[in-house]
Amino acid sequence: MRRAVTFVVGLCLASASLAAPGGVKVAPPPPPYVGAYQPRGVDEIGLWKENDEDERVLATSPMVIRDEALNTYVKGVLCSAVGDDRCKSTRIYILRTPVFNANMSPNGTMRVFTGLLLRMHNEAELAEVLAHEFGHFELRHTLARFKAQRSATDLLSWAAVFAAMSNSYSARSNFDSLQLSVYGRLYRFNRDEERQADVFGIGFLNASKLRPQAAANVWRNSMAEATASASARGLPRPKFDQIAFFATHPPDAEREMTLSALALPEGRTREDGTDRYQRAMATWLPLFLDDQIKLNDFGGSDFLINALAEGGWTASLWLARGDLYRARGNPRDLVNAAEFYTNAVGLNPGLAEAHRGLGLSLLKTGRQSDGQAELARYLQLKPDASDAAMIRMLAPSNGNDR
Amino acid sequence: MKIFRGSLAVAVFTLWAGLASYASANGLREKGQSVSVAKSSMSVTPSRDWNQLSSKPGKKAETWTLDGEQLNDVTWYGGIAPGEALIRETSKKRKPLPKFTRATLLVELPELLEATYRSEKGIATFTVTGSKPDHFLDQNGVRFTYEYIDNDDLPRKGEARAVIVKGNLFMVTFDAPRLFYFDRSLEDFHALSDSAKLS
Repeated sequence: MRRAVTFVVGLCLASASLAAPGGVKVAPPPPPYVGAYQPRGVDEIGLWKENDEDERVLATSPMVIRDEALNTYVKGVLCSAVGDDRCKSTRIYILRTPVFNANMSPNGTMRVFTGLLLRMHNEAELAEVLAHEFGHFELRHTLARFKAQRSATDLLSWAAVFAAMSNSYSARSNFDSLQLSVYGRLYRFNRDEERQADVFGIGFLNASKLRPQAAANVWRNSMAEATASASARGLPRPKFDQIAFFATHPPDAEREMTLSALALPEGRTREDGTDRYQRAMATWLPLFLDDQIKLNDFGGSDFLINALAEGGWTASLWLARGDLYRARGNPRDLVNAAEFYTNAVGLNPGLAEAHRGLGLSLLKTGRQSDGQAELARYLQLKPDASDAAMIRMLAPSNGNDR
Repeated sequence: MKIFRGSLAVAVFTLWAGLASYASANGLREKGQSVSVAKSSMSVTPSRDWNQLSSKPGKKAETWTLDGEQLNDVTWYGGIAPGEALIRETSKKRKPLPKFTRATLLVELPELLEATYRSEKGIATFTVTGSKPDHFLDQNGVRFTYEYIDNDDLPRKGEARAVIVKGNLFMVTFDAPRLFYFDRSLEDFHALSDSAKLS
């Protein structure tokens, strides 16, 4: 077992080192577009039919965000990376799900999760992730993976039959070794597909008008967030340079190194579309952030809030941070929360939720009259709030009663 | 003698397995019979027959249903102490759930349930639609309503009633698909939760 794991880890590290900065080979530009692709062969046609059925269900899902401006923007980012011709074969669905992910089916259905949009800092980063997923689509990876899985399980089924026919210890032991080696190869196959899609994605970015160096940032930030999340939970620092036997993706550290080595050096001076991205997300970020902070991941959420605040603190960022600290609820957190809400109110005195959070935090830290005054302000600003009746119990009508 | 011992062991095992399956079976909660819930001092006298599911969401929680799991679930939380989560944590270290604390206010209980559902299910669509003062278990408490979309893409509605007694949380929630089941069973939930008492 250990030998097999070492073998797989060794192979993967070897392939990782090929793409590492030492090689300094810039990713090749994407091949010329050869027109819309149609499935061939019984396997692929079957896969596409299944995907068509899934897409019909997805199209009516209540999780899909149908806002026209947001959908047009995200589609525009994909098109700017892969080109208008290729872009026509895709349909994007933005799903309100708080995970850092996106995926693409063989028939051209792309799912973008709101947790991804929350974590991207600019257009170039988003373009890299979308182009990576597009790479899986154009390279027909799902079909290849399906075939690899089928061959692997076929082989193991026959091997099990033969092992059973020969009733000896060595036959059983050989079968066990074969099983490990086949599964190891299958997971390595998955990781290699991810590596190919990374090369393909950054190739698109190199050929676009966006700064390809932004791609490595995605994984740098992902590692920093995972570290912050683990640290707040009292867990050891995650190991970003090791490959687990069943890992479906290469480790983040390898992806960061590879992508930064494959980025076109001359592209360094290009724009990364930060302003456009921030404008497009301005109305959505408070919602996506709220979805994140209620996941009870204190370290990760605090990291994300601080990352978003690099361009300047806003009232909604202070409010989110206040909510995060108040939810954890240690006495020291409540004092911090009150401070963050005060900052939010300072920037936007009309932000009712910040007055509510401030009022509750003050009440819980023993500042009764100040808290009640804030809650009364909340009721003034939002008299028909869904919890107005409950808040009214805590804050008598004139707001100054003790 | 050996044979006797062997058959005794088999008999004991069969009896144990039988008892275990009896203990893990869903239970009938009959109309008019008072029964204590969630291993707590809370008792209920249902005005119609209910089923109690054998799988419990947590140590101090249990779920009742009329038509089947997830169709109309009434979940009782009996005496959640400060520092405890509402339901069992999948992983205390890697996926901790929000905790009820000594400082939690009645008005914050909807937020606690919301954060618990969101963290456990990994969902983003959960809205508290209203909360107001309520009289539950002969105490002043909170009654709130909410809506969410679970991972199966099915929109659900819920209503909950909660009180804090001597620092411990007692709560009952009703969750059902928005389509058909919520409205059909809401009155049954009201009748059932009205019958709850603390002994």
